[in-house]
Amino acid sequence: MSTARHPAAERDPIDWAPAHAGVTRLKVHWTDRIAHAFLIFAGLALALFLVAPMVTILAKSVEDRAGEFVGLANFAQYFQTPALMRSIWNSLWVSSLVTVITLPLAFTFAYALTRSRMRWKTLLRNMALVPILAPSLLAAISFIFWFGNQGLLKPLMGDGQIYGAPGIVVSMVFATFPHALMILVTALSLTDARLYEAADSLGTSIARKFFTITVPGAKYGLISAGMVVFTYAISDFGIPKVIGGNFNMLATDIFKLVIGQQDFAKGAVVGIILLVPVAVTYAVDAYVQKRQSALLSARSVPYVPRPARAFDAAMAAFCWVLSVLMLAVLGMAIYASFVKLWPYNFSFSLDHYRLGLVDAGIFPAYLNSLHLAFWCASLGTVFIFVTAYLLEKTRGLDAWRPFVRLMAVLPMGVPGMVLGLGYIFFFVPAANPLHFLYGTLAILVLVTVVHYYSSSHLTAVTALKQIDNEFESVSASLKVPFWRTFFRVTVPVCLPAALDISRYLFVNAMTTVSAVVFLYSPNTVLASVAIVNLDEAGDIGPAAAMASLIVVTSAFVCGLYYFAQVWLDKRTQSWRDP
Amino acid sequence: MEYLELSGIRKEFGEFVALKDVALDVHAGEFLCLLGPSGCGKTTLLRIIAGLEVQSAGRIVQAGRDISRLPPMDRDYGIVFQSYALFPNLSVADNVAYGLVNRKVPRAERAARVKELLALVGLPDSGAKFPGQLSGGQQQRVAIARALATSPGLLLLDEPLSALDARVRVRLRGEIRGLQQRLGVTTILVTHDQEEALTMADRIVVMKDGAIEQIGTPAEVYLQPATPFVADFVGKTNLLPAQCSGERRIQVGAQRFECDLDGKTANGAALRIFFRPEDVRVRGVNGSTPNSAAAVVEKIEFLGAYSRITFRLNGIEQPLVADLSVNDMAEFHPRPGDTLRVALPSERLRVFAG
Repeated sequence: MSTARHPAAERDPIDWAPAHAGVTRLKVHWTDRIAHAFLIFAGLALALFLVAPMVTILAKSVEDRAGEFVGLANFAQYFQTPALMRSIWNSLWVSSLVTVITLPLAFTFAYALTRSRMRWKTLLRNMALVPILAPSLLAAISFIFWFGNQGLLKPLMGDGQIYGAPGIVVSMVFATFPHALMILVTALSLTDARLYEAADSLGTSIARKFFTITVPGAKYGLISAGMVVFTYAISDFGIPKVIGGNFNMLATDIFKLVIGQQDFAKGAVVGIILLVPVAVTYAVDAYVQKRQSALLSARSVPYVPRPARAFDAAMAAFCWVLSVLMLAVLGMAIYASFVKLWPYNFSFSLDHYRLGLVDAGIFPAYLNSLHLAFWCASLGTVFIFVTAYLLEKTRGLDAWRPFVRLMAVLPMGVPGMVLGLGYIFFFVPAANPLHFLYGTLAILVLVTVVHYYSSSHLTAVTALKQIDNEFESVSASLKVPFWRTFFRVTVPVCLPAALDISRYLFVNAMTTVSAVVFLYSPNTVLASVAIVNLDEAGDIGPAAAMASLIVVTSAFVCGLYYFAQVWLDKRTQSWRDP
Repeated sequence: MEYLELSGIRKEFGEFVALKDVALDVHAGEFLCLLGPSGCGKTTLLRIIAGLEVQSAGRIVQAGRDISRLPPMDRDYGIVFQSYALFPNLSVADNVAYGLVNRKVPRAERAARVKELLALVGLPDSGAKFPGQLSGGQQQRVAIARALATSPGLLLLDEPLSALDARVRVRLRGEIRGLQQRLGVTTILVTHDQEEALTMADRIVVMKDGAIEQIGTPAEVYLQPATPFVADFVGKTNLLPAQCSGERRIQVGAQRFECDLDGKTANGAALRIFFRPEDVRVRGVNGSTPNSAAAVVEKIEFLGAYSRITFRLNGIEQPLVADLSVNDMAEFHPRPGDTLRVALPSERLRVFAG
């Protein structure tokens, strides 16, 4: 065989580079072409369902209602509307306040979990993570039952009102707490006990150790958690919608402008404005993450806290108080869902479920949510994991990869409201060949998977990176096509991570409101959206019932995932722990 | 015709040139070591042979077939990595059979082949275990068995012993070499460990900065290094600046020595001379022995079978080392501060242009 190019290679798009350019390229094996085809497909799918909608928002923001190009007129008009301008300020200060309150609470909780010898750590941790299972607006509903006009503890409020900023802030603290806690627990776990031993041998005081070792060690975690909380707060829609009253924020403005006033151009402007703080925080976070990398060496010694009676007791007290408060918030929604007629008749009743949901014809929304969650957790996981695998472990197509990689992490910086808005703009026009997707469950699956793509992708990449990079090389040397190794080795080894992704997608699909609130049709109303609608109609009892259903379902499914994990560990992971 | 012919192999990573037009022939059935310090391009060269990296320019011909542009799947080799890359969730037997399954080898035949290979690498009873249950050395042997299962024409070993502890490493050297000789498979091993290269290879390719410094048998590389770099990298060496001061004479500091020059060296030309610690003689040396001088002993390291003496010669700044056998030590029992008459036999002095 000579170096003369095979005729087939001439037609190959990957093989374009002419020989005289001085670049040698390997011929592409047909099995690799299959990988390339999938990767091109994945990139195109992400371009279509992420980039195109986002670009459409940009386009809409410089058009008037008739679709004529008007430059920055919409922006100018926006900045001259005091009510809208106030929303920016509201969003910023509320989100900042939520961050300032949540971070110390979550840090103390995480500190107690990692650095004390208090008992019941697992229980406390799970109690603190419970809000993740609920749609964010559950907190708002609960606070209304506690402190609203007819709330149990209304007298405590004096002349004050829970509706508006106070309710938004406390609800958001509740909703963001577990997200901050998870990051901070990880940050505080990644410590090297030898640093503390060295400090002890030098006679360092407890306070000095805390400020010279603990805080610097957790610095990146703190920044990261702060960014996550801030972003969550500024882009959340459900909480200000339910408990915000007349207090306007950017996320609710988008909804009002687009759904209420059908003012798409101005909606697009608000969307872009909302994109700015989120993009900034994620840029900061990405920068910080990059610098964090090698904080912990392989030789680090894990920190084992020593018993300290007073400290442990104080930490336990803090955690129990916080956990009980969390459960009180969650419990109130569930309790209220069984109360016959708030606040007049507190006897037990299933009316809100039977009359409020089933007879009112709202129950199918719950089934829709289950469908959505199922498809996201199955198809979404497969797509995300396969794409991550192709990106990390296959070769060739070098120009295309960075694009797909960028697409995979971009959704992190896009608030759900903005993504949903982009979808309307992109899919509603009948001229779009994909218009048929509008109003279907499929588009809800797509928007939800894209919305939660980045975290899932990063989970998959982390798991894949832990696998020896030479598996694919070995397979190729043994003439085994990549998919065989993918199914026989990669998938079994990464199964725990894949289950994590699947669970994450399921729970988020059950609880999400923001992106899907624009995209449902009468046939595809989701449970979380139904809560918004019920609340708007004043049916807060059935709203609580629906929220409770979601929580119970999420909790139940998490339990299933847990047992699936245990079972699979026994069956397929036996090699891990010989 | 050689089994494997590399010509003009060049590899650039942006501005950095990792391989500079490397040409290399590998004989059929030989054990070839690519030896060099980290960053010399030896692993890159191996990966180019495997098709895991793409050369920027150059041609590779294996068994008469041009494989320069073939993807790894279309080439004929087995490979063992430093990390072994054993599939952790498959049993040892399944790992070894991995390449056979795809070739539609009947089950019974496959099982027989796996058994044969595991016996070959000395692990006849480990088929049912998982890689995680084996020691590093055993994992290494499984990786070799897996690479050999499909009877490839070429075996590529990328620093296969560097993750093992010293004892296992020494034992496996012999085993791999024995296995290779029994099977007669053409083998290329990448290593930075000169001892490994010297003990295992038929021929050694010493590399530096992306180019080949010398190709030769272990004895040639050790005894007749082609460049000062090779002399210094392979084995312990005394390397000294010198000057040509006559037809067969050189001047080193204040000392004059006789040695074999090629005759073309001009008087006064800058040179470098090199000799090994074991070349230094003490037995039967007296004032009239050619190339002898009085050495002042500075330090003595006991290394078991021999002792390494650090000494200085009058008028030479640089400390020199000599290895003395146990017998020499018993006879001369030098102490730090002693003076000892040493000789540097002229046939052992090698001279490089400075």
